[in-house]
Amino acid sequence: MHVKVNGQTIEIFAGARVRDVLRKYSRAEWTLVRKNEKKISDAHGHEVGLDGELNGGEELVVQASAPAESQS
Amino acid sequence: MKRALFAGPVRRRLFLALLGVFVLSSCVSLPRPPAEARVVPALAEAHIVIFHSNDVHGKIDNFAKVAAIIDAERKSGADVFFFSAGDNFSGDPVVDRYDPPGAPMLVLLDRLGLNVLCPGNHEFDYGLEILRKFAARFRTVAANIKPRPGAFPELKPWVVLNARNGIKIVVFGLIQIEAGNGLPSTHPDKVKQLRFSEPLAKALELKKLRSSGHVLIGLTHIGHEQDLLLAREMPELDLIIGGHSHTRVDPAENVNGVLVAQAGSDNLFLGRIDLLLKNGRLVEKKGRLIDLSQMRDEDGAIKAMIAKFHQNPALARVIAKAPLEISGKNALGSLMTDAIRQAHGLDVAFQNNGGIRLNRLPQTITLKDVYTLEPFSNQIVKIVMTPAEIRGLIKTSFERQREIDLQVSGLSYLIRTDSAKQIKEIRLSKPDGSPLAEERTYKVGLPSYIVSSYRFAHRDAGRSLYATTADDIILYLQSGADLGIYRDVRRAFWEIAAESPRN
Repeated sequence: MHVKVNGQTIEIFAGARVRDVLRKYSRAEWTLVRKNEKKISDAHGHEVGLDGELNGGEELVVQASAPAESQS
Repeated sequence: MKRALFAGPVRRRLFLALLGVFVLSSCVSLPRPPAEARVVPALAEAHIVIFHSNDVHGKIDNFAKVAAIIDAERKSGADVFFFSAGDNFSGDPVVDRYDPPGAPMLVLLDRLGLNVLCPGNHEFDYGLEILRKFAARFRTVAANIKPRPGAFPELKPWVVLNARNGIKIVVFGLIQIEAGNGLPSTHPDKVKQLRFSEPLAKALELKKLRSSGHVLIGLTHIGHEQDLLLAREMPELDLIIGGHSHTRVDPAENVNGVLVAQAGSDNLFLGRIDLLLKNGRLVEKKGRLIDLSQMRDEDGAIKAMIAKFHQNPALARVIAKAPLEISGKNALGSLMTDAIRQAHGLDVAFQNNGGIRLNRLPQTITLKDVYTLEPFSNQIVKIVMTPAEIRGLIKTSFERQREIDLQVSGLSYLIRTDSAKQIKEIRLSKPDGSPLAEERTYKVGLPSYIVSSYRFAHRDAGRSLYATTADDIILYLQSGADLGIYRDVRRAFWEIAAESPRN
């Protein structure tokens, strides 16, 4: 099946989850999401979990997480 | 407390909304109120709170907080319901490997007073008998499942819940199916007794339910994208509470007049919907997520139950005895790949060394040992591959660290490199030593980590087999496999070829 990540079409096995598609899209981005430095959302801006199950044709967006509030 | 939800600006909006409804009702033909609405006393007001969760996947720890939240709301006098949009199982051995499987989830959901459950694709993972126990305990709805006669009488397409003041809430269920095989995302053998139809088409047949109650709800496990399509196609709905895609919809969004909600996954959030009805008409609806990490109150009795469940005695149960310890990557990887290959009838299976998280399995092997050996819950993916594609995979694996990385079952391989570790040749052999047939393809099983992380060419994109490596190892060990063969086993070889003298 095909899933788009940041506009790039990724071919992935049927039954793949968000984490599978993200790892295939970019190891660097995967690492940043794991560190909570970036978050992954659907095409409507809703954050999705890494074990979220996907259907072909869906779209994901990786973007920077909101910066933490300053403590000072 | 109940009034506070609609106080201040909200109250003014409510007044304007009511005024709008009055004006609209005198101008256009609105859907007729259901017959039951006539029994509602004039000017009667109803505030209904629906808590919802989805895709809990065996993560029970936050249920003590969920219980405290729901209980507090009930004590405040609100009319409270609790819905589950599916996938309560599969994801934590404490729940998945309980005896019987899933028992902690059944007990906890019962204590929480679950009103309605829509099964998700993972509700079938333990087999139909376990789901039947859940359906016997909780109202379970899925309109697009058609059991074979007598197979699953507890399953209903929809239910009607009676709220206070004569308010009737109609809830129908929908479960996802895959485009390819028309089945939910689980092993096909688990759902042999059931037939499934396309969820959105089935939902559109249920528009008539609008007249059966005051509130119409789709409790779905079809993913947020499909929920949005459903909302656009079926404005008769008041509310969709969804699951499957693990989407945090906060606040719930209004699509075509339908409120669409989903509460993420793993019991990190609890969804809350507030419905306000006047004279049998829904006049305000809103939804938000409660971040359970920010909540402090816990139900002490539930917390104690969860602690006891974590001591799951089944994890300490011995499932196999080996004639000797099984140690080292070669032996453990061979056992893991043999298990994958046997479980799914595959020609070949691979396992990366990084995914083998134990140095040795003791002679007396418990379930806990298996989950320590393979803690990642990697799904097994079947890919049909040519020998050339298999060589490509092995080449990629070797080049990651310039050393043997993949353990294998169903074949052995030899990598020949020069002294700079540049690959010169990869030779594949069947277990009897003969070469693989270059013209044919092989069914290869790979952990999902390899498929998504390793860069290798394969024409077949593959398909999940909806089983984890740990599942397969447990089946293999319980099958009475001969564990003596792993003493000195080795199937992956690397040699540095002698280099020709340079002139």
